[in-house]
Amino acid sequence: MSKHDDPTDDASTAEPAPDTTGKTGAIALDNLNKTYDPEGEHVVAVEDMDLDVAAEEFVALLGPSGCGKSTVLECIAGYLEPTEGEVVVDGTPVTDPDPKRGVVFQENRLFPWKTIKENVEFGPRMHEGVEEGRAESILDEMGLDGFEDAYPSELSGGMQQRAELARLLANDPAIMLMDEPFSALDALTKEIMQKKLLEVWERDNRTVLFITHDVEEAILLADRVAIMTARPGQIKDVIDVDIDRPRDPEVVTTDRFTELRERALSVIREEAERALEQEDGA
Amino acid sequence: MESRRRLVRLGSILAVPVLWFVASRFGLIAGLPTPVEVADAYVAELYRDDFWISTIQSTIRVLASFVVAAAVAVPLGLLIGRYTIFADLTFPALEMLRPIPPIAWIPFTILVLPAAELSIMFITFLGAFFPILLNTVQGARGVEVEYPRAAQSLGANSYQTFRHVIFPGALPAIHAGMIVGMGLAWVNLIAAEMVAGGTGLGFLTWSAYTSGSYPTIIVGVITIGLLGAISSALVRLLGDWQIGWTEPRPN
Ligand SMILES: Nc1ncnc2c1ncn2[C@@H]1O[C@H](COP(=O)(O)OP(=O)(O)O)[C@@H](O)[C@H]1O
Ligand SMILES: [Mg+2]
Repeated sequence: MSKHDDPTDDASTAEPAPDTTGKTGAIALDNLNKTYDPEGEHVVAVEDMDLDVAAEEFVALLGPSGCGKSTVLECIAGYLEPTEGEVVVDGTPVTDPDPKRGVVFQENRLFPWKTIKENVEFGPRMHEGVEEGRAESILDEMGLDGFEDAYPSELSGGMQQRAELARLLANDPAIMLMDEPFSALDALTKEIMQKKLLEVWERDNRTVLFITHDVEEAILLADRVAIMTARPGQIKDVIDVDIDRPRDPEVVTTDRFTELRERALSVIREEAERALEQEDGA
Repeated sequence: MESRRRLVRLGSILAVPVLWFVASRFGLIAGLPTPVEVADAYVAELYRDDFWISTIQSTIRVLASFVVAAAVAVPLGLLIGRYTIFADLTFPALEMLRPIPPIAWIPFTILVLPAAELSIMFITFLGAFFPILLNTVQGARGVEVEYPRAAQSLGANSYQTFRHVIFPGALPAIHAGMIVGMGLAWVNLIAAEMVAGGTGLGFLTWSAYTSGSYPTIIVGVITIGLLGAISSALVRLLGDWQIGWTEPRPN
């Protein structure tokens, strides 16, 4: 059951965030809690989580699998209702999905019954209408020209992921929520996709919340890397990535990158040991 | 290998008239007319208006009942599949009625409904309705939650999500239900026509039985079989056209 059927008192507590820049796409997690309750067994997925993502910032959310990353993203997207606390976007509490907050899923979710072009035009068709030639130019940019009339099942994994990114861009969201979008790709395809994403982000002024369990990917892409604790998820540490842009995949060989990676890994290691001790104690 | 299989399959088909001929020629089944007698009777029927009227009538009954069944079962099934409240309101009642074989309703509907035509159509409708409904429900439930979510995050409202995501996502299952439903529509139509009387291929076959005209019975059986096969093929064709995306096309 989705949150839409569920009347609650969620709204109206947050004061509008001061917007001094005129930019949009700021995300604030305010004491976010999410508990799953399948048949009475309590799964606390996220507990008392606070995080601020500035408008047009690129933040990576890094954490081991099962720590609650997808849950956080689904709360921001408006799919799940927080058990406690709230998600505030540009001063307004999130209650429903919104085209301002676009989502790329972990597994590819192009509509299999629509052609690539129909997929890319889906968002605009749902509201303001389709601008002739726009889908083609976005597909072109993603290296998918000639595949407009193909169905998703006819494309390789990397091409499907590019098409899904194209579908998102065609809808022009202020915020891109990406849930381990490249984790299923082979190393080479992954690198191409990372480059493409950075290109698009550096040009378009969007906020990106990028979920990953890959330390190098997080540092390569993000302005800041927020590292989560093991379940129940909280923010353990936030690392500023002070590496100049535009970045290309070669930065992974620089000393600064290595330093940052070691820092992130030591936080993760510390957390893993803590989680292990907890288990032993239990 | 492939050609050998084809040969065996051809043999399977040819075995039917051969066995039929042997059985009728040597009187293994008393009263079974020979293929030649049936062919003669068939030609004679083709010259009779009554045969054509019956054929057209049965076809129209099946098509009309099937279309109505699909038009009711598909939207209902989508709603039941997606909205818990809708499922709780309607599904238990439908599940209670479902195990009753539609044919069992024939005497009652003939008494209650104002025309025999209506009761025949209703029984035929029931045959198609439940398989389409159940498959649609299952199909709607099988659409993974990320698809409607993706649609909503792209700006689709509830109706658009239904129209562009739940319905096409459920189509392969709906199609499977339609194939079964078409078969059962014919089964129930023939039974209803035999009982309700008046017109139609079921009645034609039954009255051939009461008048003891054995070859005409077989003519009726063959015609019903042919029409059943043609309607199944049409449903299949419709499905292949609608859900071509499930099979990767060669580029
Ligand atoms: N619908 C659900 N019902 C019950 N438990 C769930 C559900 N979704 C996720 N969980 C549990 O919540 C925890 C966090 O899951 P998730 O947010 O998917 O983690 P991650 O994305 O970091 O791998 C996991 O232990 C998972 O098993
Ligand atoms: Mg996840």
